[in-house]
Amino acid sequence: MEKSKDSELLQTFLWTGGALILGLIVSFAFLPAVGEDPFAALQLMVGMTFSDSFNMGKILVKAAPLILCSLAFASTFKANLFNIGAQGQFYMGCICATAISLGCQDVLPPFLTILLAALGAMAGGAAIGYIIALLKTKFNANEFLVSMMSTYVVLYIMKLLLRTSLQESKHEYVQSDMLSNAVWLPKFLPGTTASIGILISVAAAIAIYFILKKTTLGYRIQVTGLNMDAARLSGIDPKKQFLIAFAISGCLAGLAGFIEVNGMQHMLLDGLDSDIGSYGIGIAIMANSNPIGVIFCSLLFGALQVGGTILSHETTAPASIIDLMLGIVMLFVLFSFFFRNRHEIKKTIKKQIALEGKK
Amino acid sequence: MGKPVVEMRHIYKRFAKTLANDDVSLTVNPGEVVALLGENGAGKSTIMKILYGLYHKTSGEILIDGKERDIQTPRDAMDLGICMVQQHFTLIPAQTVTENIILGTYKGRIDYDKEQHEVEELSKKYGFEVPAGAYVKDLPVGIQQKVEILKALHRHARILIMDEPTAVLIPQEIDVLMHFIRDFAAEGNSVIFITHKMKEVMDAADRIIIMRNGAVSGCVNKKDVTATQLARLMIGHDLEVLKKPESNFESQKKRVEVDHVSIELKDGRKLLNDLNFSIHAGEILGIAGVSGNGQEELCKALYGALHITQGSVKLDGEDITHKSVKEHIALGIGYCPADRYRYGMVSDMSLTQNMMLKSSYLGRWDKHGFINWSDVSNYTEDVIKKYNVKAPDTSVTIGSLSGGNQQKLVVGREVDMGTNVVIFNQPTRGLDLGAITNVQKVVLQERAAGKSVLLISTELSELFDLSDRIAVMYQGSFVGIFKPEDLNVEKIGLLMAGVSLNEAEGGSDGKE
Repeated sequence: MEKSKDSELLQTFLWTGGALILGLIVSFAFLPAVGEDPFAALQLMVGMTFSDSFNMGKILVKAAPLILCSLAFASTFKANLFNIGAQGQFYMGCICATAISLGCQDVLPPFLTILLAALGAMAGGAAIGYIIALLKTKFNANEFLVSMMSTYVVLYIMKLLLRTSLQESKHEYVQSDMLSNAVWLPKFLPGTTASIGILISVAAAIAIYFILKKTTLGYRIQVTGLNMDAARLSGIDPKKQFLIAFAISGCLAGLAGFIEVNGMQHMLLDGLDSDIGSYGIGIAIMANSNPIGVIFCSLLFGALQVGGTILSHETTAPASIIDLMLGIVMLFVLFSFFFRNRHEIKKTIKKQIALEGKK
Repeated sequence: MGKPVVEMRHIYKRFAKTLANDDVSLTVNPGEVVALLGENGAGKSTIMKILYGLYHKTSGEILIDGKERDIQTPRDAMDLGICMVQQHFTLIPAQTVTENIILGTYKGRIDYDKEQHEVEELSKKYGFEVPAGAYVKDLPVGIQQKVEILKALHRHARILIMDEPTAVLIPQEIDVLMHFIRDFAAEGNSVIFITHKMKEVMDAADRIIIMRNGAVSGCVNKKDVTATQLARLMIGHDLEVLKKPESNFESQKKRVEVDHVSIELKDGRKLLNDLNFSIHAGEILGIAGVSGNGQEELCKALYGALHITQGSVKLDGEDITHKSVKEHIALGIGYCPADRYRYGMVSDMSLTQNMMLKSSYLGRWDKHGFINWSDVSNYTEDVIKKYNVKAPDTSVTIGSLSGGNQQKLVVGREVDMGTNVVIFNQPTRGLDLGAITNVQKVVLQERAAGKSVLLISTELSELFDLSDRIAVMYQGSFVGIFKPEDLNVEKIGLLMAGVSLNEAEGGSDGKE
């Protein structure tokens, strides 16, 4: 049994790895169209990304909030719900983290301020998630639409705050004051911008994995997602599971906001990371909602983003090449699920025929 | 006999993972009623669907009237005079009987009056009381089946295939159907009916073809065979005869007391109407009735899954009327739902995870919410051994097991959860004979262990074999509660059809 699990892991690795490579080949095949030599571009990208600890650190910086945002999608997905609004919950986390950090940094010790900011960001995100689930359970509102629209509500609240109470003291740009150095998340790799945010994210992924695998809480969420009728007849109230799953989801996205503000930007900006929610969904789907898989997929996305940025800086290729690459790679990974499935069905048929032949 | 009208030679049919038909050869003569007998999954429906053009054979040949034919679609089959009445009807509820019958046979303008007249004639000819102008959605299932048969007759079928035709009928309707089958065959037509019920075979068939594991395991004339021999051919060994030990349940305490329970919907319709009964410790109370007369609602109400609007339910004197499902589980009530796939299991989860299903709040396998999966897994292995479940290991999904093995696991779990009361809703539906005996034995074991058992079944023989008392349910209320020895099949059939007790007794007395 253990052995079959190992070989399954290897299979997953081979299939997904193959899909990645194929996806990269196809996306590089577009480069001649913009007048670039794909081989030189590849050399440049890989060389610059991995020869420089600063760039490698950047991968971790990019990956940290991605991990959390895709965990946010994955944790509701396990209850067969769609939280499309991680972007909004992320913004709420950013707002809470900024407000608490700016408000407390001069009164409270830095450690306490950071802790409060983290908790506040998580609570803020969770509150948004909880409201979405509440609308679903009380009024049977479609959580897909409500969560999607909630992003805009939070976005405009953020825009409003950035023009009023949270705006920088100079009142020049639509952004907040810089957080004082003391409440920045500590760096953990010298010579890079990587903060301990990535460690928090990885820990969160492991925690979610553990909750889903080992606790009654996670078990009930998954039963609800897979068969709501059976859940109800087993004493599990689906509505309660919806509320819990959405609160956890919002909490994770909020935490991502905290890590982005206190760990990377050190201030709140208008239009900050405006795609992180949708990347999160893509990564979660690519990782098949497996929290551990999410870590690796996020790192890959981070690497592609860093590599793509280098490419657009160093060559004449347009900046949108990054999105093109991400999109194609994602498509190929999704294709690989389909082909793997077909391949496995064919294999079982062949095995069966061979077995009957022996008889 | 003359030349066979249907001859199937060496038919093989392979689905993705299984060989559904393994070298099946059979013949059907004109004017003959052939019963295709076998357990679920024996390949009966598959071979007939090949004949009807719904499935395509992997290899082999089909001869109709001695000529080889390639039947690609049901239309090809119909052109050859072959029609099939499916187990699940293929009628359009929103259309009238006539419209359903002429569906697909018409081109151009439809002369409804003429067609309706024709349908009425046809219906009269075979003694079917089918209102040709009524909408199918308003008709009971028994009549709907007749519509299906009329559809075949209207297409001038001479080879009629029927897949489990009696599954939805009450005993009196079965008699009518059997009568029709004989009449129809007497006109020189052929009938093939698929069934796993021995009694029907002995009633109506001329010849019996028995299938097992996708292959023909025997072909006998009815007059040369006994029911026991048939059972052996069907399952490959002798069937165990269940013996219900005597029980003096009446001297035991009343464990479940249901007092004037009703469930009324907001629009005034009553799902359950003034139910009054009790179940003693060590008693099996059987519920007879045509499906959809409130049995499902009764189970759910007793399990806390449906809100009771009037009356009360007591367990050992404690009022549990408005307790939640969670509390019912904690009180030791087990429930095997009729639709286990929807209500009793999570098909994409492993066997171990499914055994955990009812216990997620009990603290039985977890400490402060952290589950000890290896304990659950060991327990699952015990259940697998105890109930003889065929499964490779505990980590496969329950959806990958056969229906019988799924049911054994669900029954094993619920019997364990229900330390006081176990509710079985059609526990043997869709199972093969071996598994049926297995489950029935468990039901009797639970009774012997002093539990109160509520057994809902549409198989009358099962109710008579197992129950200490039988209640007949019709439109949400009990027609009465009887001792099995005071009932016979005919009387129970009338009661199930809504005939009042006096009339039913008058009817049966008159005949005796």
